[in-house]
Amino acid sequence: MTSAFLLDMSRCIGCEACVVACKTGNELPIGRQYIELIEHTSGTFPNLTGGFQNQRCYHCSDATCVAVCPTGALFKDDGLTRLNRDACSGCGYCVQSCPYDVPKMSDGRASKCDACASNVGGGGSPWCVTTCPGKALKYGDREEILAEAHQRVDTIKGRYPNAQVYGETQAGGLGLILVLPDDPETLSIPADPPPTPASANLWKNWVQPISMGSTAVAVAGLGVLGVIARRNHIAEMNEVEGSEEAAVAAGDGSEGINDA
Amino acid sequence: MPDTNGDQLLRYRRGQRIIHAVMAGSFLILLFTGLALVWSPLAFIAAGGWSRYLHRIAAIGFMSVPILYIVFDRAGAKEIVTESFKYDSDDVAWFKKMYRYVLGRTAEMPPQGRLNAGQKLHHSAVMVFSASIVVTGIIMWGFKSSLSASMLSWTAMIHDLSMLALALLLVGHIFFTYVYKAWSSMATGYVPKEDMELEHSKWVEELEHEGAENTPA
Amino acid sequence: MARVELDITRRQFFGAGLAGAAAIGAGTSPLAMRYPDPPWFATGEVTTTYNYCDMCPWKCGIAVQSVDGKVLKVDGNINDPKSRGMLCGRGQGGVSFMYDPDRLQSPMIRTGERGEGKFREVTWEEALDYTAEKILAIKEQYGPESLAIFGHTTGDFWFTDYFAQAWGTPNAGKPSSALCLSPRDEACNLTLGYPVGGHEPMDWDEIECVTFIGSHVGEDSRNTVMQDFIDARDRGAQIIVVDPRFSTAASKADYWLPIKPGTDTALLLAWVNVLIEENLFDREYIDQYAVGYDELEAHVKDLTPEWASTITELPADQIRETARVMGQRHPKAAIMPGRHTTWYGNDSQRMRTVFIINSLLGAYGRHGGMYFDKSPFIDSYPHPPFAVTGSAGGCSAEPGEEVSDELPLGPSGKARADGARETFLRGATAMQELIDPMINDDPYRIAGLIVYGVNLLNSVPMPSRTIEALKKLDFILAVDVLPQEHIAWADVVFPEATFLERYDELSTVPYKTPFIQMREPAVAPMYDTMPGWQMARELGLRVGLDAYFKWETVEEYLDTRLRSVGSSLEKMHDAGGVLIQEGKPYLEDFGDESPFRTPSGKIELFSEELAEAGFDPIPVFEPTEEPPDGYFRLLYGRVPVHTFAKTQNTPVLSDVYPENELWINEDEAAALGYSNGDRVWLENEAGDRTGPIPVKATQRIRKDAVFMAHGFGQQSEGLTNANGRGASDTKMMSRYKLDPISGGAGMRINFVRLVEGG
Repeated sequence: MTSAFLLDMSRCIGCEACVVACKTGNELPIGRQYIELIEHTSGTFPNLTGGFQNQRCYHCSDATCVAVCPTGALFKDDGLTRLNRDACSGCGYCVQSCPYDVPKMSDGRASKCDACASNVGGGGSPWCVTTCPGKALKYGDREEILAEAHQRVDTIKGRYPNAQVYGETQAGGLGLILVLPDDPETLSIPADPPPTPASANLWKNWVQPISMGSTAVAVAGLGVLGVIARRNHIAEMNEVEGSEEAAVAAGDGSEGINDA
Repeated sequence: MPDTNGDQLLRYRRGQRIIHAVMAGSFLILLFTGLALVWSPLAFIAAGGWSRYLHRIAAIGFMSVPILYIVFDRAGAKEIVTESFKYDSDDVAWFKKMYRYVLGRTAEMPPQGRLNAGQKLHHSAVMVFSASIVVTGIIMWGFKSSLSASMLSWTAMIHDLSMLALALLLVGHIFFTYVYKAWSSMATGYVPKEDMELEHSKWVEELEHEGAENTPA
Repeated sequence: MARVELDITRRQFFGAGLAGAAAIGAGTSPLAMRYPDPPWFATGEVTTTYNYCDMCPWKCGIAVQSVDGKVLKVDGNINDPKSRGMLCGRGQGGVSFMYDPDRLQSPMIRTGERGEGKFREVTWEEALDYTAEKILAIKEQYGPESLAIFGHTTGDFWFTDYFAQAWGTPNAGKPSSALCLSPRDEACNLTLGYPVGGHEPMDWDEIECVTFIGSHVGEDSRNTVMQDFIDARDRGAQIIVVDPRFSTAASKADYWLPIKPGTDTALLLAWVNVLIEENLFDREYIDQYAVGYDELEAHVKDLTPEWASTITELPADQIRETARVMGQRHPKAAIMPGRHTTWYGNDSQRMRTVFIINSLLGAYGRHGGMYFDKSPFIDSYPHPPFAVTGSAGGCSAEPGEEVSDELPLGPSGKARADGARETFLRGATAMQELIDPMINDDPYRIAGLIVYGVNLLNSVPMPSRTIEALKKLDFILAVDVLPQEHIAWADVVFPEATFLERYDELSTVPYKTPFIQMREPAVAPMYDTMPGWQMARELGLRVGLDAYFKWETVEEYLDTRLRSVGSSLEKMHDAGGVLIQEGKPYLEDFGDESPFRTPSGKIELFSEELAEAGFDPIPVFEPTEEPPDGYFRLLYGRVPVHTFAKTQNTPVLSDVYPENELWINEDEAAALGYSNGDRVWLENEAGDRTGPIPVKATQRIRKDAVFMAHGFGQQSEGLTNANGRGASDTKMMSRYKLDPISGGAGMRINFVRLVEGG
């Protein structure tokens, strides 16, 4: 069982209560918000349609940000993408790699929604879910959320013939399931974000751990070997000196090394 | 006469020693500050910035090494490059018996020139991986934002693997310095002639030959 | 000479090395996989207190969480019928409002000239004594009516209602009356015999067709309305939006009518025409509950959609179709009364038409229509009769007592000075009409002013006139939380503790299920601030009003009141902060009694009272002035994270929306040479300028109007985030048109053009 958000954009009224609740509950600094409401309009006056893009972390299963994070500050947990800022080294790879343009730098570290990990861990709900006056947000078991999302699409098909669920399969399955009134492109959401590049997975799962590990092993191993080898070398040098002295003492005319 | 100080031979001139210090110092800073970017217990040093600036400053030092070498000791620079990439049959034989050398035994090792086969390999590997780490480093320094997620991963991976190689080479470098008590060669430049006769006999012969050439008959 | 040789092969060595490397490499990852340091709610003990939000006058019930004397979070109270556990963005900004570093911290007395903003900090003792002295002097010289009291926000009761009535001034007013609700409430009084009520009583649970005239839900971020609207819409209710702008509400609507500003009454009359012509109204209901139908039918005979089409610039088909959508769903269809209805100076008549339509739809007292609000029952704290009956009205005002023809008189025989019964017929005190008497002493001198929680220079139209008044007054007391623009003009400043730091009067909410809300402090007042109730009491004790402040502590005051409903502060807290009673929402709850409190006891489609007073007894469309060439009509409204001119400085809200934008039709902007983001200034016909404001070139608005969020362009150096940000609609209001029925100030008759530079 993993958890997920349901975000029903047919119910979202763009009031930004979620934005402020999140900023306040997470004590975000001035200049930073995890959620952004972006107005969309199409058509010309007076034949217009419009809506909101509720831009926030999509909590991908196949999370590119997690794959490129060198320190493991970004990690998956219960289907959501968490961020431990204390472990973030500020490299910015996640900012660059996210297909949804989600993480941002703040105070030298990456910053993004972590699905209110501590809040939920303590038995509560994410701040945005609690406050939404449109009841557009839910949080719970992903299977149940997906089922509800499909139900919602059926309910709103009358008003929105092109309504659809977004997030069932994108990016390996998202932890943010959207009920969209129309195609994702109408809200500037990528229809199918690119998968995490194989190179990123290779780097994170193999190259990085092996590099760190083998360096550590080499240090340990050669440390031990060094003690042994140095002893051997000193012993050897003593032997050589000993035979030279013997040769000199013997005066047998054998050429010493130091003879020109 | 070979450069002597009693029974010491001059192995590394002053210029070479200074350049080595620059290289070693900047590499250690690069290693440590680079580690802070990828190892979470040290992440706090990197986040917020100071180690990242230090990494860049040390990188400039590191990249300047070949330039310094050419400017201050062109003959030495040429020498180290040509020597490190030329192997003879003695070197091949040395590699076959390398395990003895690793265990601290020089006896029965084939005669070696100024640089033994292992040192040649070390130098050439350092040059190759320094090049790859510098190139990928410059890309990440100045052109990171124009890289795709895939290209960024590859670049970082090559940088990472180059680091791995150089770190292992460093571990080996320190190992052999410790085992063969070679610290003085970079500290003062001089090494006991006796040791050189044991390990780099062909070099000692060359020096004596030069010395003989330079001595009036 | 011991020699140790490692007895392992090379292969084994490397193999072990790799395995070890992998193990250590993987081992570093779990170290990173720890949760961040525990956040605030996982450390220490969280204390919860109950409150009603002050971030807008809606008063959602909230639960406040604090730890170790620091308030950390505000959320909706799940027990509260208004918030139901949810809360809008302004409410979420309540903590930031309380900790705004720009807050007033100490009582002050002016040292420099008025307007210079030079003060010295004083003790409460000195500030209160001085204020008492000054207002007693005014009472002595001119009579108590000479003290005007303006008030707003959710703490306005103590000064604008209680103190004013005890003291004896009828000149107490709230901007929420004549600058907002008055046309709506008076039209409702005239039609139904009661005002609309704070909580527009739309029966959202069952309604099937909702019409908005200008109401921009979503940008107007009222919590309960957003909840109800989205639920109703989701349930399948048809949504009709009439607005010159493609608002958020319009984007959620099934029908959007991009009406020409100022022509709504024509549209509404045409709708009446269609409902009657096509027999789509509730004839039985009208027969039983209304009078004046025949006159109405005759009145609208020629007011066809075709007639309205030319005026409104809407297709006749669309007018007809939307009337049918409403009519076919009666009685589960209604037009939302809205709130801010002071537009063009003829607004009471427009609102009369709205209520006539709702009556034709048979909505009042019906399921899915408009239910009847009921006030909660609770005793007041006993006090002697007031020196004058109040008429300040306000947003959450109770459905009032009968309006008598006679205006209440103060102790020296003076009625209120706002022109009631002379320049306008009826309604709550018109605050903006009290400014002139401060300048020219007509009908009598108003010499003193107390301003509680009103951003005076950013709310009342014609701000230069207000400045003139501020120069002439004998005494000005400003009570506020922040150094708003008018503070610099005050003689004395009382800094108030915010709603999170104080007790307050109970909030009694007329509703489908009437309820009572409490306010209890989460923490003690910061700095040297004081709650409003305490200021009113301290002042009252110094000016001879002891009899009205017999309680020693506010807890005693509140407990006494709550005892009358079998509760107490403690019990109420334990019950979850709200007490809920039963209402009387539908016709069937009234039995034989008529819920309509008009003289006839019925819905008055035709208004005798208006006829007698010389007004149109059934609304007639009157065109409004058009913008001259090169000018646009200035429309104003809300954005979801701000309230009036109150929140622009609140750090977290300013961060999300720091300055307003000028909505202008994209083609018009291009013709003028402007594109999105260009910063412009606005100039009205009088030559006043405001700005700079960024252009929002959009298809979402008609070509004849521009729109911006109200409350920006403030000028006060003490307000770090609000100062100089954006443009001020108030400063563009060099005139307004007084609604002769309700006293409302029609403010959408100002025209602006775009200019470069200030």
